[in-house]
Amino acid sequence: MNYIFFVVKAAIEDFRRNKTQTFLTSLGILIGVFAVVMLTALGLGLKQYINDQFAALGKSTLFVAPGKILSGGSFNATSALTSIKFDNRDLLRLKKLKEIRNISPTFFKQTTAKSERKSEDSTIFFVSEVFFDINGFKIQKGRFFDKNDINKKAKVVVLGPKIAEKLFGTIEAAIDQKVTANSVNFTVIGITESKGGGGFGGPDYDSYMFSPYTTGFIFNPTKNYSRFAIKFDESYSVSQVKEAIKKELLKRYDEDSFSIIEPGDILSAVNSIFGVLNIVLVAIASISLLVGGIGIMNIMFVTVSDKTREIGVRRAIGARKKDILIQFIIESTILSVFGGFLGLFLAFIGTVIVQKFFPAYIDTSSVILALGVSSAIGIIFGVFPAKKAADLEPVEAIRYE
Amino acid sequence: MIKFRNVWKIYKLDGEIEYQALKGVNLEIKEGEFVSITGPSGSGKSTLMHLIGLLDKPTKGEIFINGKNVTYLTDDQLSTLRNEFVGFVFQQFNLIPKLTVLENILLPTIYARKKLKYDPKKKALDLIKKFGLGGKEHSYPNKISGGQQQRVAILRALIMEPKLILADEPTGNLDSKTGVEIMNLLKALNEKEGITIVLVTHEADIAAYGKRMIRIKDGKITKS
Repeated sequence: MNYIFFVVKAAIEDFRRNKTQTFLTSLGILIGVFAVVMLTALGLGLKQYINDQFAALGKSTLFVAPGKILSGGSFNATSALTSIKFDNRDLLRLKKLKEIRNISPTFFKQTTAKSERKSEDSTIFFVSEVFFDINGFKIQKGRFFDKNDINKKAKVVVLGPKIAEKLFGTIEAAIDQKVTANSVNFTVIGITESKGGGGFGGPDYDSYMFSPYTTGFIFNPTKNYSRFAIKFDESYSVSQVKEAIKKELLKRYDEDSFSIIEPGDILSAVNSIFGVLNIVLVAIASISLLVGGIGIMNIMFVTVSDKTREIGVRRAIGARKKDILIQFIIESTILSVFGGFLGLFLAFIGTVIVQKFFPAYIDTSSVILALGVSSAIGIIFGVFPAKKAADLEPVEAIRYE
Repeated sequence: MIKFRNVWKIYKLDGEIEYQALKGVNLEIKEGEFVSITGPSGSGKSTLMHLIGLLDKPTKGEIFINGKNVTYLTDDQLSTLRNEFVGFVFQQFNLIPKLTVLENILLPTIYARKKLKYDPKKKALDLIKKFGLGGKEHSYPNKISGGQQQRVAILRALIMEPKLILADEPTGNLDSKTGVEIMNLLKALNEKEGITIVLVTHEADIAAYGKRMIRIKDGKITKS
């Protein structure tokens, strides 16, 4: 039986006798640790989810868009509004580049899609037949449109599985049906496989509709393109391809009027946004840890005056100031770590529940952080009360009633 | 063993008014003695006891223990000396309520800085058996009688094998029959083990157990 055993045993026995007080005192730390771990879990889950989304976009893919949308890993929202518009001349010039294997012009229109039964808000992407290959789409039912459809300006549409189900009840029922968008009738020729996504910053491909870009000129009389989707030859590096595209476009446009974007660029920008958001949320949650620490300090001051006589007895039988100091710091640390463990436990349960609706996971570093922070709080906020206890004069303490 | 040379203890009340609790006390207690200190309340006997027990320091004068001047020792050095040299027995028993009988008895050993020549747990269990507390090792103090609690307190005082036991009104919270038992126990420790005992009391019949009486009044020793 050594010193630490005695101190820990005495502290735990105290807490066992004052269960309500112990629980209430730990509550602040409990809530703080719960909030921090939970928010970190949600942040991590979200990040993982978005990463998976972008990974689905496939390799050797690039986008060319007007405006300097991305600069230094962060979004620049305003520049896109005041910038150039691409047209068929750009498409033809880029098509000639040896580095580019496939290129699809892209523009889109927000619309209300109507079937005989229902109407749904959606977005039609007007693209070429290679768009599906560039972006790694797979067909689940029916077919994609082909070169022939492009040339004929066929009024055909490929639906994402979500919008297909919404409009027609089932995916099977959608084929060969009519979808009306802005008074134009389209025939459904295919349904894509689910790509997942939607929601948190990622594109919701399953709710989109795709139609030949030539057909889309009905809605786009100036024949401008808002984006090019590009699959490049893998024998070139990303930077070589970017350089070639840039060189070609600089013949017509300023350097700041267009962007060449890799999915990875968007990814790092999105990650940086969520990173900052997460730090802010965790910082807010940390305030409750601070409040919890103050609660512990308060109760420890009360404990010190409750135990004045005990302190006197311990000093009389040989405890040094140091021994009393350590005893009270250990007590406040146990109190705080107890709250930390409960908070962590609740966060585990919370994460398991939330996982049904939302990606979330707890990693080892947040466990270590939570327990490290709660023991640090116990020590830091225990020091002042413990110092007060240690500095009591033995004679005064022992006479205390 | 204990020697006071012209010891004064002066308290400052409200910063201005001085209160002289001890006024130049000279005193010597030899090893193996059983001394009773008596006096009315406010006479300075508590102050004297605290100084003997190394819980307090004199304002003026010097205190020697085994020939060594302890007046100017640091707080840590005094703590070590209290741990090894003195065993305290209080009127209120002053056991730690959340520790068992055995743990209370062992408490001084966890603060010991020297290596003990014996196994403290074994010694504690032997003492418990010897002093009629067998079976109570794992009881908490509130589950045993006052007399038993005071006995545990005496065992706590004995565990470090001290030279001196300082008993402050040890029977004050006990009925007279139990009080007699406790006094006989202290007497036996003095006679059989040779432990020096300093007893502080205001009760004449309790003080009579001592072989020498020190009377104190208004901060001065009147009979020694």
